[in-house]
Amino acid sequence: MKRTILHVDVNSAYLSWEAVYALQHGARVDLRTIPSVVGGDEKSRHGIVLAKSIPAKKFNIKTGEVLWSARMKCPNLVVLPPSYSLYIQCSNALVNLLKEYSPLVERYSIDECFMDLTGHCRNKSFEETAWEIKERCREELGFTVNVGISSNKLLAKMASEFEKPDKMHTLYPHEIPKKLWPLPVRELFLAGPRTIPVLYKLNIFTIGQLAHASPALLKQHLKSHGITLWKYANGIDNSPVTPGERIIKGIGNSTTTPFDVDNKKEAFLYLLSLTETVAMRLRDKGMMARVVAVTIRDTQLSFFSHQRKLAVPSNNTDYLYNEAKRLFTEMWQGNPLRHFGVHLSELTGNEFCQTSLFDNDFVLRRQSLDKSIDTIRLSHGSGAVIRGAFLHSGIPPLCGGVHESFPNMRSLL
Amino acid sequence: MKVIMRSVDMICCTSKEGVITPIKFRITDENKEYKIIRIDKILSRDEEKLAGNRMLVFKVQSVINNCEWLFEMKYEFSTCKWFLYKI
Repeated sequence: MKRTILHVDVNSAYLSWEAVYALQHGARVDLRTIPSVVGGDEKSRHGIVLAKSIPAKKFNIKTGEVLWSARMKCPNLVVLPPSYSLYIQCSNALVNLLKEYSPLVERYSIDECFMDLTGHCRNKSFEETAWEIKERCREELGFTVNVGISSNKLLAKMASEFEKPDKMHTLYPHEIPKKLWPLPVRELFLAGPRTIPVLYKLNIFTIGQLAHASPALLKQHLKSHGITLWKYANGIDNSPVTPGERIIKGIGNSTTTPFDVDNKKEAFLYLLSLTETVAMRLRDKGMMARVVAVTIRDTQLSFFSHQRKLAVPSNNTDYLYNEAKRLFTEMWQGNPLRHFGVHLSELTGNEFCQTSLFDNDFVLRRQSLDKSIDTIRLSHGSGAVIRGAFLHSGIPPLCGGVHESFPNMRSLL
Repeated sequence: MKVIMRSVDMICCTSKEGVITPIKFRITDENKEYKIIRIDKILSRDEEKLAGNRMLVFKVQSVINNCEWLFEMKYEFSTCKWFLYKI
């Protein structure tokens, strides 16, 4: 059956949400009309541009750029701190509005949604419905969106990227040669900084050239990703719109430290702090992990990662922390660090698990301790019980993550 | 009208149907003294949900110092705060 998919993308999401909230609370200036950015806290070294206004874009300010560099380009730049709870509220409002049209709404990221409109448009064409959604977002919620319409998620997403802001575009399969193929290949979804140089070497510069390239040649150079890109260039994508939570493949938390960490003691405290957060999340989902990975970034911004498969899956903070410590010790060469991450994967349910011959009462007692600590933290706040090691250390007892329910960007449709 | 957006202390009535009606509020003047303003007439009552934040917006009329004034009041559901929005 022919499907009709909409992709709704909020224009300069963080910034326009901040602007609308400020206007609602009596601000005299619309932040969208002046050079402004939403940026992290520079004191704790999270100082990068998260979102920018269109006037800021004219100063060549880019998302991900450090704030001091953005200020050099535009001395009058207005910098706002991010307020993630507001963004979740705005994102929920958008999802609720979309659900008035179809129950099949998938939140792809905090500011993007897919919606399957097939069979859900009465008395109106799909284009009219899309236009109505766009207008209602502006009138009722105060921020503008781009809406892309097509027969699958990939084309709908490509359509919403065409011209911004506050626009509606169609990209049906018969429009691909005219609208999609002339675009540079870097505009294609999943054509990233590592793929592009390979495609350029193959003399592929436009999406059309990629669509007409030999799939065998692409597979030879880019493995299975080459075939995916070739399919995308030809507008082939059969992924369904999946409302609700996706199956979790891994859980991870990372943090940038406010100071350079040059000794093992502080590094271990950061690993413990991250493991506390990530293990608590793991237990909250009722899961156990088989693989532990530790990532670090030094002051030269070099990135290192090391992982190991555990003998038995676990969700015990101490057990995972000891493994993280071991991985870190094997990997670290003594250079000052500014970023730590702990990631758990190969997740399994915690109803049944393989026990180890070496498991004893001590491990079981640790698990019941974890459970008690989680209960206390959930009912009285994450700071209700902390480990003594963090006292006067200047390191937060639980770190990583901005908000528990903050939806992250995904790389799969 | 000029945007003021100042939070105020409000006495309001919530009917058994759940309809909120502002009655009178107090606000500090430039001498930091409280001034009580009674709302004489509600001209319109709207709901906005800009940025997903629900607010009631009242266009109201009052007599202040023998002079009739039109102004707008806002009630924010998430914080239960009242604001003198525009005057």
